This record gives sequence, structure tokens and C-alpha cells, in this order.
Amino acid sequence: MANKLGFYFNATVCTGCKACQVACKDKSDLPVGVNWRRVAEYTGGEWVTNPDGTCEQNVFAYYTSIACNHCTNPICVEVCPTQAMHQREDGIVMVEESKCIGCRYCEWACPYGAPQFNEEVGVMTKCNFCHDYLDEGKSPACVAACPSRALFFGEIDELRAEHGEIAEIAPLPPADITEPNLVIQPHHNAKSIGSTSGKLINPEEV
Amino acid sequence: MQANEWSLIIFTTVMQMAVGSFVILGGVHFFATRRYGDQAADALSDRALLAIGPVVILAMLVTFLHLGNPLNAPQAISNLGSSWLSREVALAVVFTIGGAIFALMQWRKISTLTVRSTVGLVVAAIGLLLVWAMAQVYLLPTVPAWNSPATIVTFFITTLLLGSLAVGSAFVITYQYLRSKGTLPNTDTQFDILSTTLRWIVLISLVLLGIQFVVIPLYLANLAEQGSEAALASISLILDEGGALFALRLILLFVGAGIFSIFMYRTATSENRTHITGYLAFSAFAFVLISEILGRFLFYESMMRIGL
Ligand code: SF4
Ligand code: SF4
Repeated sequence: MANKLGFYFNATVCTGCKACQVACKDKSDLPVGVNWRRVAEYTGGEWVTNPDGTCEQNVFAYYTSIACNHCTNPICVEVCPTQAMHQREDGIVMVEESKCIGCRYCEWACPYGAPQFNEEVGVMTKCNFCHDYLDEGKSPACVAACPSRALFFGEIDELRAEHGEIAEIAPLPPADITEPNLVIQPHHNAKSIGSTSGKLINPEEV
Repeated sequence: MQANEWSLIIFTTVMQMAVGSFVILGGVHFFATRRYGDQAADALSDRALLAIGPVVILAMLVTFLHLGNPLNAPQAISNLGSSWLSREVALAVVFTIGGAIFALMQWRKISTLTVRSTVGLVVAAIGLLLVWAMAQVYLLPTVPAWNSPATIVTFFITTLLLGSLAVGSAFVITYQYLRSKGTLPNTDTQFDILSTTLRWIVLISLVLLGIQFVVIPLYLANLAEQGSEAALASISLILDEGGALFALRLILLFVGAGIFSIFMYRTATSENRTHITGYLAFSAFAFVLISEILGRFLFYESMMRIGL
């Protein structure tokens, strides 16, 4: 399927302002605790002693804005017992709330934490790529809101042709699990997945 | 720990116990029939069989507590093609209905022994398939603590161990009850069935205990070897935060399935010590049940997903 939609995230220009997260929350009126788009803050570093006895620090930090990647191999869709979690022709993965039983199995399975449970209504919710905006010819709310122009969307083949194929950097999971339709321009300090040199410092936000 | 995970702990443990009881009971009945005929074999096992019913129904009802939107529950079997959760639900429903039909046939002695045995065999096979599906549900590539052959092995150990000890307790209680009421058909034969059954149950328990004590260290070592952040966090949840519970689980398992069982092996053959055998059987069952529930609690507690 050639025309699957995906996101492109440029970590070299992201300032971690979280305008994307807030725009998403506002557009879909998400309750407290439910954030379809989140910005992971990954930092590390330490003091190193030089041969001459002086000390230097090598602290680093970078941001990764992440929502659902509308994966080519969506594990959430595979495990959902009701088919509430389903994938459209254009690649958008959505929850059909009238079918969802709120078992939260998709939440266990997705390594990006994309499916988020709405306690009030007892069903799963997640990024729907602002398909209503797309129909009106507009950009998804997160993309439109980014003041640094770090976030784009488009047909994944084009995004890959233009920006490369990288889809895994710490703290993201390996890309081969779900084959996310995501392209990342890594920050110059980006660590490879599974690296222990840094850690996610805002786990309560993602 | 989310409160709704209690419903999963209860459902998986109790359902596995029910499947195990059904399977073990079937085995006991098969051998007892060959040696003493079906009427003698039915005396103790029919009541034990009926005890499984309420247990299964309880387990099925508890699952609704886990759902955010129980009204949609019938939808849960609409993805049999790819979702093990769907398959688990479907098999649980089929096992429940099949078990009920079999219990009714057995209680009312509907149809011939051969037909009943065939139905029983099919239901037992569905039950074992259900346990298999239950394990598959947790083999998620994104959760290292669950994605292990140990999940499958442990689920089957729980099934057969709790099943054996539950049947053992049910047999002693039924034997004592029927004897005190004076309605036991042929006391000698029944005692023979009781003591042989208990001795086999002890042997099965000891083997399962041995396997469990090999699987646990292998599982933890393998998880440590994977070394991912999620895997290490899971180990720490089991051994550090859950350390006391984990130790308690192992001790209860060892005392229940090991020590009490061995004593039971000795008392099972002397008729004037059936009340001691009864206490032992019941304590062994209770200890192992608590141990299994603790084990399952730690299983859910150790859930750590890779990625975000
Ligand atoms: S990111 Fe998660 S929720 Fe989105 S399609 Fe992939 S597996 Fe499913
Ligand atoms: S919570 Fe809803 S969408 Fe997620 S797996 Fe369960 S039924 Fe499917």
C-alpha cells in the first residue's frame, strides 16, 4: 500500500515546547491523563576527568514528539479482541468506540504508549491523525501548531525519500516490532535504542 | 497495580484450577472405572465434578469487572482470526457450556458411558486448549517479563497442581461426608479409590513442584540476560519490591505441594487416619492456592513494556 500516511519529526529543531501536545489535547478535548501526542525528554551525561586533572561534563538532552505511528504492522489491531482497533485503507489506525470493551489489551501491546484509556467513558482512545482536518484539506493539529517546524505529515514513501528511513532512537522501541510509519531526523546527540547512557526524565508525561 | 487486575488474577487462577480439576477428575475416573466399574467410580467423582460449576461461573463473572465497557462484552469474540484474547474468551465460553452439558449428563446418567466419556474427553481437550490460549495472550513481544516459554509452562503447572489438590480435597471431604451419612455404597472399594487417588495426586504434585522450581530460576536468569531496561525493571519488581511476597510464594508452594503432600502419602492408606489425611489435603490445597495467587499477582505486577 503505497499511500500510507506517516509523520516526520525533526529532532534537531524541536525545542521541547510541547505545543504539538497541547494543540492535540485542545483539538480533541482530551481529559486529564490522556495525551495522544507526547514529548519524551531523554537526557544523560556525567562528569569526565581529563588527563590533566580538569573536569568536564558531557550532559545531553533531546526531545522526541510521538503519537500513534499508524504502523504498517499494528500490534494493537492484531491483539484487539473486538476489531474496535482497526486500520483504514489510508493507513490510519483508529478505535471504533462503539465496539470497544475497554479491556486495555491494545494499551499493553503498543510499544509507543499510543492507545490511551478514557476512564470516564470506559473505552480506548488514540490519535486519529485528525482525519476530519485531513478531509477539509488541513494539517493535523499537532503539525499545524509546531512553531519550530519540527513536525510534518505526508505519504510515508515521500517522507522517506526526502528525509531517510530512521524510525528508532532512544527511548523509542525497536522499529521492527510494529514497523511505524515514522521518520526521524535524529538530534546530533541521539542515542541508539536500548542505550543506557541516558534516560527518560518525564515518564509521568509520556 | 490497577484494581481491575485483581479480576485477571482471579479469573486466570480460578479458571486454570477448574480446567485442571476437570482433567484430573477425568483421569481418576478413567482408571477407577477400569478397576472397579463405573458405578463405584462415580460415587466420589460426581460430587467433585459438580463443585467445579460454581467456580467456573464465578471466574467468568469476575472478568466483567476488568472491562471498561462491559456492555460491549459480546464483541470480544469478533477477532478470532488474529487476537489470542478473542480466542481465550471463546474457548472459556465453550469450556463453560461444554462442562455444564457434561456435568448434567453425568449427574443424570444421560446416555451411555462411552458417549459420556467422549463428551468428557472433548471438554477436557477444550479446557487444555483454553489454558494454552490464556498463555498466548501474554506472549507479547513488547513485554519481556511475559514473553517467555515460562508463561506457558507456569500456566500449565498452575492448572494441574491446583486441579490435583482441589480434587484431592474434594475426594476426602466427599468420602468423609458420605461415610458419616452412611450412604457410601461399598466402603472398602471407596476407600481404595480414595487412597490410590490421593497417592497419585501426591506424586503428580511433587513432579510439578520440581518442574516449577527449575523453571523459576531459569526464567529469571533468562530475563536478566536480555538486559533491556524493561526486563531489568521486571526483575526488580519481582525480587526487590515483590521480594517478600515472592519468598512467601515459594515457601507456601514448597510446604503445600511438597511437605504436606509427603505426609499425605503416608496417611492416605490408613483408614482410621482419614481425618488427618483430610486436614493435610485441605492445607496443601489452601497453601498452594495462596501461593499461586501470589505468583499471579507478581506476574501482573512485573509487567513492564519496552518503549514508551
Ligand atoms: S503506534 Fe501503537 S497504537 Fe499506533 S498503530 Fe502502532 S501499535 Fe497501534
Ligand atoms: S481496549 Fe478496546 S480497542 Fe483496545 S484492545 Fe480492548 S477492545 Fe480493542
